[in-house]
Amino acid sequence: MAYGFEARNDSGKVIINDTIENLHFIGKATHTNSYPGYGDFPNYSGSNDTLDGNTICYYSITCAGTPVAFIKPNDYARWHGLIKQSVSGTTWTFYVMSSGTSTSNIPDVYCFVNADDIPVPSGETYGMQVFKADGTTKTFDSRRQPLAITGGGSIVSPSDPTNSSGYPGTTNNAAWQSSSNDHDFRSSNRYNTVADSAANTTNAMFSCPSIAQAVYSRVINGYKSSDIPWWEGGGSQDHWSTAWWWVMYRQAFRLRSGNFDAGWTNYQAGFWYQQSFTSGGWFSGGSGGYTSGNRPYSNKTINLQSNAFIIADSSRFD
Amino acid sequence: MSYGLSIFKSDGSVGFSTADITWQTLDQFTVNANASVSNTYTVPSGFEIIAQRQLVNVPPSSQEDYAPNVTISGSTVSVAPQSGLSSSQCIIHVLTRDT
Repeated sequence: MAYGFEARNDSGKVIINDTIENLHFIGKATHTNSYPGYGDFPNYSGSNDTLDGNTICYYSITCAGTPVAFIKPNDYARWHGLIKQSVSGTTWTFYVMSSGTSTSNIPDVYCFVNADDIPVPSGETYGMQVFKADGTTKTFDSRRQPLAITGGGSIVSPSDPTNSSGYPGTTNNAAWQSSSNDHDFRSSNRYNTVADSAANTTNAMFSCPSIAQAVYSRVINGYKSSDIPWWEGGGSQDHWSTAWWWVMYRQAFRLRSGNFDAGWTNYQAGFWYQQSFTSGGWFSGGSGGYTSGNRPYSNKTINLQSNAFIIADSSRFD
Repeated sequence: MSYGLSIFKSDGSVGFSTADITWQTLDQFTVNANASVSNTYTVPSGFEIIAQRQLVNVPPSSQEDYAPNVTISGSTVSVAPQSGLSSSQCIIHVLTRDT
C-alpha cells in the first residue's frame, strides 16, 4: 500500500485496513416474546409420540445497516437456528428457534454492524477511526468493539432429519385401524459435526443462519374385509383406515466442547387419522377421524447446502 | 505485549488487538424473491470470501421455501434461484478475511 492504514495480526494477516469494513458490536438484541410448541404430535398418544420440541423467541434491535447476528446459547444442550431476520424501518427482528419447549434459558443474540453504521457513543471523542479513500466511509472505529473470531468453517446438516434409520414411508394393507407410529421423528442423533477448538459450552457463540428445511411423514393404510352374516344378506364389507404423522423441520446447530454440529429440530407437526367402511350389514356405512394442521409440502429436504459458520467468544462483548 | 496494536475498552481491558483474527464485511444486500444478482469485489490477494444467506420470512405454510444459490468464483459472488425453482427473499452477508 502506498498510503492509508493497515494492521496485521501476529500471523501477518490483515485485520484492519482502509478498504474493507470491520464489524463492530452494537449490543444484544432485546428479547420480546417466546412461543413454545410441538413437544409431541398433537392429537396423538402412543409409540414415538415424542418430538424434540421447539421454542421460537423473538428479538429486536434498532440500528443502521444490516446486523450480523450471533447466537449465544444459555443452554448448550439445545439446538438453535436463526430462522428469520427482517426489518421495518431501522428496527430488525430475529426469530431464533431452539429445541425443547422450555422458555427458560433462552439464547442471547449479539449483533454486529459495519463500522460506518455503528451508533457513535455520545461523549467519546477519543480513540481511532480508519476511513476509506473517500474520506467519509469508516472501516474501523475503536469506540465500538470490533468483532474478533475464534473459529469457523463450513457445515451441512444430514439429509434425513429423523432418528430412525431410513426415511419414513407409506405402508399399505396394514391391519385395519393401525395407528401406532413406528418411526422416531426426533432428530437428536441426526447431525454432522466439524471439529473446532473454538467450540465450547461456556462462552462460545456462533453465526450460521438456518436455511435447510424438511418435511417427512409416515403413513399407515389399514384394511380388512369382514363377512356379512347370511341373515343380513351375506357377502363382505371393506374397512379402511389411514394414520398419518408428519413433521416439518428447520436446520439447527449446536456447540459442544471441541465440535460444531449441524442438525435439525422440528418446526411444525401434525397427525391425521381416518377410518371408514362400506355400507352393509348392521354398520350401514360411516366414517370418523381427526386431523391437526396441514402438511406444508410433500416429503423432501430442501436448501441442503453448505453453510459458512463463524464462532466467537461472547464474553469479550459482555 | 511488546509490539503490535491493542484497542482498549473503557474499563481498561483489551477489546481487540493484533493477536486477534476477524472477518471483515465486503457487502450486505437483500435479494428479492426470484431475482439474480452478481457482484465483483476488489479484495487484496490472498483474501478468502464467504457468503451467508439469511431468509427474511418464516416458511410459508403451504409451499416450499427455497433459498437462492450463492456461488463464489474468485472475487465474484453470484446469487440466483436454484435451477428450475422459485426463490424466497434473502439477505446476503459477504465476508472476507486474509488467509
